[in-house]
Amino acid sequence: MFPTTSFDRKLSVMSQTSLTASESEALEQFSYDDAIVRLFVTATIFWGIVGTSVGVLVAVLLVMPSISDMFRSDIGAMLSFARLRPLHTNAAIFAFAGNAIFAAVYYSTQRLCKCSMWSWTLGRLHFWGWQAIIVAAAVTLPLGITQSKEYAELEWPIDLAIAVVWLLFFGVNFMMTLLTRRERHLYVALWFYIATIVTVTILHVFNNLVVPTGWGKSYSVYAGVQDALMQWWYGHNAVAFFLTTPFLGLMYYFLPKAADRPVFSYKLSIIHFWSLVFIYIWAGPHHLHYTALPEWASTFGMLFSVMLWMPSWGGMINGLLTLRGAWHKVTTDPVLKFFVVGITFYGMATFEGPMLSIKSVNALSHYTDWTIAHVHSGALGWNGFMTFGMIYWLLPRLYQTKLWSTKLAEWHFWIGTIAILLYIIPIYAAGITQGLMWRALKPNGDLMYNFLETVQQIVPFWWTRVGAGSLYVVGVLMLAFNAVMTWMSRPAKYDVPVYSAPRLPKAYVDPSIPKSSLAGTPVLELATKLDTVTHMDWHRRWERLPVRFTIFTALAVLLASALELVPMFLIRSNIPTISTVKPYTPLELAGRDIYVSEGCYNCHSQMIRPMVAEKLMYGEFSKAGESVYDHPFQWGSRRIGPDLARIGITQQSGLWHWRHFENPSYISEGSVMPSYRHLLEEKLNYNEIEKRVRAAQFLGATYAFDPKDSAEVARKQAEKVAAEIVTQGGPVEYNGHLTKDSTAIALIAYLQRVGTDLFKTEEPAAPITPGATEAPAPATPEAMAGIIAGDEQAGSQ
Amino acid sequence: MSSTTDPNPTNVPLGHAYDGIREYDNPLPGWWKWLFVITVVVSPFYLLYFHVGATGRSLQEQYQVAMDENQRKKYADLPPLTADAATLMKFKDDAKWTEVGKAIFKTNCVSCHGAEGAGVIGPNLCDENYKHIKTISDITKVINEGVAGGAMPAWSTRIPNKNDIIMLSAYVASLRGSNPAKPKGPDGSPIAPWSADE
Repeated sequence: MFPTTSFDRKLSVMSQTSLTASESEALEQFSYDDAIVRLFVTATIFWGIVGTSVGVLVAVLLVMPSISDMFRSDIGAMLSFARLRPLHTNAAIFAFAGNAIFAAVYYSTQRLCKCSMWSWTLGRLHFWGWQAIIVAAAVTLPLGITQSKEYAELEWPIDLAIAVVWLLFFGVNFMMTLLTRRERHLYVALWFYIATIVTVTILHVFNNLVVPTGWGKSYSVYAGVQDALMQWWYGHNAVAFFLTTPFLGLMYYFLPKAADRPVFSYKLSIIHFWSLVFIYIWAGPHHLHYTALPEWASTFGMLFSVMLWMPSWGGMINGLLTLRGAWHKVTTDPVLKFFVVGITFYGMATFEGPMLSIKSVNALSHYTDWTIAHVHSGALGWNGFMTFGMIYWLLPRLYQTKLWSTKLAEWHFWIGTIAILLYIIPIYAAGITQGLMWRALKPNGDLMYNFLETVQQIVPFWWTRVGAGSLYVVGVLMLAFNAVMTWMSRPAKYDVPVYSAPRLPKAYVDPSIPKSSLAGTPVLELATKLDTVTHMDWHRRWERLPVRFTIFTALAVLLASALELVPMFLIRSNIPTISTVKPYTPLELAGRDIYVSEGCYNCHSQMIRPMVAEKLMYGEFSKAGESVYDHPFQWGSRRIGPDLARIGITQQSGLWHWRHFENPSYISEGSVMPSYRHLLEEKLNYNEIEKRVRAAQFLGATYAFDPKDSAEVARKQAEKVAAEIVTQGGPVEYNGHLTKDSTAIALIAYLQRVGTDLFKTEEPAAPITPGATEAPAPATPEAMAGIIAGDEQAGSQ
Repeated sequence: MSSTTDPNPTNVPLGHAYDGIREYDNPLPGWWKWLFVITVVVSPFYLLYFHVGATGRSLQEQYQVAMDENQRKKYADLPPLTADAATLMKFKDDAKWTEVGKAIFKTNCVSCHGAEGAGVIGPNLCDENYKHIKTISDITKVINEGVAGGAMPAWSTRIPNKNDIIMLSAYVASLRGSNPAKPKGPDGSPIAPWSADE
């Protein structure tokens, strides 16, 4: 733009560098700890196999739900899509991508700071702590121990461990390394690592605030709308600060290294870094369009997502244009091939993201497989391929030998690319097909299809995913094999080169900010100042002050978060209360916990949007005031099964639910829901209920009975629910115990309640003492209505 | 090596290097800069348009208009009907309107009564036996109010349009005597044929 000025600037920077070098005293000796990188790379490959294989497993369970019937019911219970899908997502995000991030950070930070990691021990604690967390996740999730918030499913003891490992082990080690560095300025990769560590900590802590009732159970302190907003503030920014910023950092280090080319634009790095950090954090509400979230928040989510398009693409441009002059290398180097395709998928996904956040587009895409295709283009394409590229580049350097087979890496690249396309194209088709079918109306305004028909239409696409996913796993296995073979030809003893560099002298004078070329020309002083600011030279000073840089990043994130979240908690009109909406009864609370534990939200939403087709299919749209007692909210994000927000209105029959849990395809031929007969076979633990009622009470629910009597009150209601089932022709006994003792009874009681309060008329509650046979509790007018109706029914027969 | 193949040889990287990585200071691509500016500048106008001032622009208001239109269009050539036996008898033989009833049935009723009304958990609607129904207008009553302690729920909250309930009732009445694939055994007792007299 202004060649003279920028050339001057370069000269001044150069002379400054040489000056500080000559000023310094003795050189210090150091070497890099690559053993920790080897550990993280190995873990990345291992969890990559696990995460993608579990993905294939859940894909198979979706098309063949009856697999779980082949096992004893308590084993079969663990083989449900709903319990294992969180295992797949957690393994892919936190185990595979997480270890990849750590490998990248530990390798590049040492070199970018010219020093070894600050603490050898913290590095090991970090590594083994993180693996232990993953193992804990792999054990608890199939057991149904979950908070039910997407990508934050792990229960509070594991959450505490994550906080310790992430912040105290990883964060402290990283920050102390920055503070003991021998390189004056922080390279852009490190900025992205800083943003990652700071923001993930904030997100993790605030989204996981819970009231525990035991080691494996807790209730979110937020309810309904607020819980949904917190969750998607977290969920979206988990994508931003776990799957985007650290991978951009990775890209900024490994891509120019592999291509041996300078980065395209330093200025672009600065602008897209800060705009990304500040804008990303607002975008969460786009996951909640058309829901009971107040519309202003939804609008903010959409607008900031659209504004995010260019900051995201800044990273893509800086990556792809760095390859200018090195494109011929891409043809021969699998590392660069992975990077190019990875960055391209990043570009596609970050265009698609803003597009999907536009309300009218989201109206079609939300709750469909479109979202699933979108995240897989990001996860398989961007995160997967950037990781693979990095690992293939690292393997020969970490094991100090040649990569065992470049040809196999090439094959991995092509198989992986084909697998991604075979995955996403049919799933896009499935998403759009189902979305269009849901809203299809006949000329007279009636619905064209019922829910089951729309599922059956897309099952063939789900089958292709099984094949495509398996192909992607084959690619990961090829990587694993190549890594093992490379490791086999490692030297007997690793060479640990010793480097030397001077310690950073305390005294440092920043180079003066070059004068604007407009200075002295006849323009406004403001224009001259603006020209200086937009040249970004002032940013150079920030780059040598890591603490201040970290604080600025944290402020950018916290400010944006506060502007969006605080009004939602403070302004009462955001969540208009509905007087007929009452707390759940003890039995319903227990049933709701089963709903959470089984992961029903993975397939069923509880949020009807204000749209004609949804009204016709499910009933009156959901209101904010209806979920004020929902800790945590259960709005869901994908409708593999139908929405359940009005299930209490449309399906009151206990026997229907009972038979449906026993064998869904007995009720609905072609249903993809697995059998839940273990709920019929297991007995409900009534001793747990009091604790949960007390937690609900602590969180604002009011009950007219003494919480001590919770189990008693629950038993009464269970008897009524079971009596109805028996009256309707259900069994008196099941698996050696009475029907009323089944776990399923609590879940049925909950489902009979969901979505009904809105239509009740407020009646003065008659004081009834617990233990009375007429009614279970005054807090349950619905249960009472059911009982009265049930008695009449029994009398008439 | 490859740095000699720089497409723009006058462009020199900045003076610093990090572990050998150098950086150019290329200007921001113009299209990138301006698209960013446009998305930022347009956003406040969107916010103002939809959230400040004029009514009728909120999602819920737009939904209400669309919903009213949907219901109006459907029964444009019918007045609000009364659920008496004569009306039901008339519509149960009117193919145009039993189609409407069938669509409502498919959305709401098949999970208990089966796709063809053959019965699953709920009773078979195709045979001569009925549980809570003696006359044709009882069908409407049962649909509206529910029976069996809510096992058959009260659909009046779920389907508020009275004409919808009538068309659904007429369709259910028309199922009697049909031959579905897998009929459930008889529930209740046989009743007299549908009749307009009550």
